Amino acid sequence: MICSLLVINSLSAVAQPVLRWGGDPSGGAPYVFADPANPQSYTGFDYEFAEALARQMGMQARFVPTDWESIVASLHRKEFEVIIDGFEPTEDRAREVLFSKPYYLFRLQLTARKSDSRIKSLEDCKKLGIPVGTLVNCAASRLLESEGYKSVGYQDPVGAYQDLELGRVDAVLMDVAGEMFYARQNPKLKPVGEPFHTGAYVVGIRKADKQLLARVNVAIDSLANNGTTEKIFKKWQLWNDEQLTLRTSKPAEIKVTGTKLNWSEGLIKLSKAALVTILIAFGAMAIAVVFGIPLALGQSNGGKIISALCTVYIEFFRGTPVLVQLLFLYFGLPVIGITLPGWLTAVIGLGLNYAAYESQIYRTAFQSVPARQWHVAYSLGMRPVQAFRRIIFPQAFRVALPPMTNDFVALFKDTSTAFAIAVWELATAYRELANATQSYLGIGLVVCCYYLAMSLPLAHYAHRLERKLQRKSTGIISSGADK
Amino acid sequence: MITIKGLTKTIESTTLLNNVNLDLSPGRILGVIGPSGNGKTTLLMCLCGLLPFEKGSITVGDRTLRAEESESRSETLWMFRKKSGIVFQHLHLFPHLTVLGNITEAPVQVNGTPKAEAEREARALLEKLGIDQHRNKFPEELSGGEQQRVAILRALAMNPEVLLLDEPTSALDPMRSDDVRNLLKEFAATGHTVVIVSHSVRFLSGFADQLAFMGRSEIIEMNDTKELLENPRDERTREFLRRSGLN
Repeated sequence: MICSLLVINSLSAVAQPVLRWGGDPSGGAPYVFADPANPQSYTGFDYEFAEALARQMGMQARFVPTDWESIVASLHRKEFEVIIDGFEPTEDRAREVLFSKPYYLFRLQLTARKSDSRIKSLEDCKKLGIPVGTLVNCAASRLLESEGYKSVGYQDPVGAYQDLELGRVDAVLMDVAGEMFYARQNPKLKPVGEPFHTGAYVVGIRKADKQLLARVNVAIDSLANNGTTEKIFKKWQLWNDEQLTLRTSKPAEIKVTGTKLNWSEGLIKLSKAALVTILIAFGAMAIAVVFGIPLALGQSNGGKIISALCTVYIEFFRGTPVLVQLLFLYFGLPVIGITLPGWLTAVIGLGLNYAAYESQIYRTAFQSVPARQWHVAYSLGMRPVQAFRRIIFPQAFRVALPPMTNDFVALFKDTSTAFAIAVWELATAYRELANATQSYLGIGLVVCCYYLAMSLPLAHYAHRLERKLQRKSTGIISSGADK
Repeated sequence: MITIKGLTKTIESTTLLNNVNLDLSPGRILGVIGPSGNGKTTLLMCLCGLLPFEKGSITVGDRTLRAEESESRSETLWMFRKKSGIVFQHLHLFPHLTVLGNITEAPVQVNGTPKAEAEREARALLEKLGIDQHRNKFPEELSGGEQQRVAILRALAMNPEVLLLDEPTSALDPMRSDDVRNLLKEFAATGHTVVIVSHSVRFLSGFADQLAFMGRSEIIEMNDTKELLENPRDERTREFLRRSGLN
């Protein structure tokens, strides 16, 4: 009986046309997010709205989880037919997609720490030179940029409000929906001033799908007029009388917000980001090169316990993704009271990670120097430190140099993982600029050039140094053991 | 001058040296012969302070190393090591240093000899062996014979009381070349001591003043070269010499 019901059910599902819609569920509450009560499925006002919209169109909604920043690109790759994710009509997006009628009018809310008495309005942030945290590529970030505010871009609201709580930023500007869900209940935070700056959420559709647009618009009107929209947003406590203006057959005037890419300013922005990347790479490498030494020594000569601890450390850092390690340091450490700024977290995290690799390079390098070299040095009257410095180290260094160079170049590229912890470096800048302009290819090529401009001279210099050392003899004369 | 008293060395219950006694006056060249695996190289390693031992004592010149000091990193041990120089079978030159660097490294670093002076002395020695033209080359660019000369000069540059050579004829022929032999003879003649471990009795017979025959972790017999070769007292010595095709 149940079986046959299931079959009928799935048959009807196949028969009904499907409306695939895209949204970003990571940190996406209350728009669309994994239902905490039932993590296998999703919930959120956009989720419910999408369901209602599809039903109204006689279709079945199918949610396609995607990444917020590349959501338009994914639409074009036909991973789904419509974007429903607090999607705002902007000038740059208008070149890429069609906008439906608005189904919700939103406002922005500024939030600060309760203990912070300096900030009474958004203008105070500019006056005091306080950077404002917000999501990348949203109405708030564009507002901040166009009005000349310093800002910090986050991938999701959780990170932004957590950093606010921890004092990594002093103010966060976000859609009221996000603010309601993530910040209103937090006793350490307070809303500053009234919500302001109206914008609209619309459905995004591919330029070619004009027919679909018409059907969506009809459905949105019906949902607004028959009270379905009101029911959904009331449930999420986001209803206000302003929304009633959407019920008239004439939609409210949509103010299109947006910025255009100015290439020379874009390049300056990328150069600044590249500088951050360089600083992170050099800082991390310095930590790795130095901290690798005690690790290598501890592992090979440290006695049972120290050796085991070093091995655990090395295997942990080599065996888990560096991205996870950074997230752990950034979000995990504050739990035990250690709060580091993002850039420092990146330097330390990458440094600790690469130290594990460097220690292994050192170990192999020193093992490659025959024990007899120590004996000869001792027989000539050298002390251990002398023998190490003058005889053993120079030989091991030659062996270690090529793999260390490799690691340094790899480290340069790994700095891009820092985008996950809101560090504004080259990869972050790429995503920001490319998403804002939808020019993934052009800006992408420029960004690649930046990376190459950093890594090629490094590789070249290391190669020259290697050759110089190579000329100073290539190998060990005889590694054969004496009888 | 070398005096060894009751030297005993074991590794994991295997006795490598068993109550070895030896007396060698300055100015002598001692050849140590015997089947391999009977402790010849172990004896050399103990003699230059690179291998700790359990019992006995070794005196080189005015320095004595007792068993209990042979393990520690004591001042006695460091001073003792400076008394002798060793040339290993496989030489183990410093690959990252030039010929001149190999020879001057220890005098400059350990004794604090000014670099220019150390280089002048090194070049005098290099000229004596006819390889001064190679002074700025790296070890790998040299032939085996040239490498061996550099290894000997590296040891001599520290002006040791005793020079130890482990199987100098194993790879090559240079020990037969007159300038190297003359250099070692000259070194011995100025009141120093040379100990050569070699399986080649033929080579030692024309070079060493005295021969010691080692078998089973002991010195079985020691005598003037001619006497030992012509009148070996112990049956084991006779057997070894017979197998070596001598006597």
